[in-house]
Amino acid sequence: MIDLKGKTILVTGASAGIGAAVAKLCSDLGAKVCITGRNMDRLSEVSKQLSNESEFFQADLTLEKEIDNLVKALPCIDGWVHCAGIIEPFPIKFIQSKHIKSMFTINFDSACLLTSKLMQLKKINSSASFVFISSISAQHPYKGGSLYAASKAALESFSRSIALEFSSKGVRSNCISAALVETEMFEKTKNALSETELLGILSSYPLGIGKPMDVAHASAFLLSNQSSWMTGTNITLDGGLLLNTKK
Amino acid sequence: MEIVDFIAAIEEEFEDLNPGDVSPNSVFRDMEGWSSMHALIFVALIDSKYDVLLNGDELKSCVTIKDLFDITFLKINGGGANT
Repeated sequence: MIDLKGKTILVTGASAGIGAAVAKLCSDLGAKVCITGRNMDRLSEVSKQLSNESEFFQADLTLEKEIDNLVKALPCIDGWVHCAGIIEPFPIKFIQSKHIKSMFTINFDSACLLTSKLMQLKKINSSASFVFISSISAQHPYKGGSLYAASKAALESFSRSIALEFSSKGVRSNCISAALVETEMFEKTKNALSETELLGILSSYPLGIGKPMDVAHASAFLLSNQSSWMTGTNITLDGGLLLNTKK
Repeated sequence: MEIVDFIAAIEEEFEDLNPGDVSPNSVFRDMEGWSSMHALIFVALIDSKYDVLLNGDELKSCVTIKDLFDITFLKINGGGANT
């Protein structure tokens, strides 16, 4: 049984979807949970659903000043699940600097800056565990997803560097590469798909598409002491999607 | 902003379209080989040419090329389209 009692866990992007599910599960497993997001009302709603001690912090992680303020306000943490991110499909031919910036600022820069500042202010307890929510698209891109896939590939690479650089402190860092998960992000994406395309996508998942709680369970394992020998790795959660992918 | 320029930009963007293939009443999802990639190209084309970003709901509400033009025009000017 996974047990997070006595641990303080930070969850970024916790106001909806995977982040909210992670926060709820960590709380149910006994952790004190610190949740962050941009929308105060939604954070407050998630906070009400937590079964254990919690704190919530409004923070826009695309702004360095707000990352500074968040880190100062946080208690020392034993784990962090980075769920903040966006997915904005865009064909390569039309990419402009503003598109690269908007994608990488939240999906990648925020993870780097938050890690750096948490370390600088000594807010990371020894043997802490970091979990970065990535995507199978980092290794298996899709048309129109070049920037998203690149930002997640960068995140995965960064996670491996954390694993190496902070191993002497017992700090671990791992990623979860998820395929399609039923979140608000997916609901928005669906609008651009024809019914045939949508059915084609859904039928390509032997176990169906994922639910936020599927990712939350894997996150809880990586945060727990049961995964204490795992670092620098990547867990794929894809409902069997990649089984039929041509190499 | 004129709809003829809007249509010309679309015809130029899609290699399998020739000048005159598209009219204001063309149903864009009926275009040969239509896929979500085409939808992305429409959104990107409108973003880069007119600095207007259509969201999924707005795209879903459009059926014809004129619908796309009208919603783009509205977002630029907050007024009626000059067709």
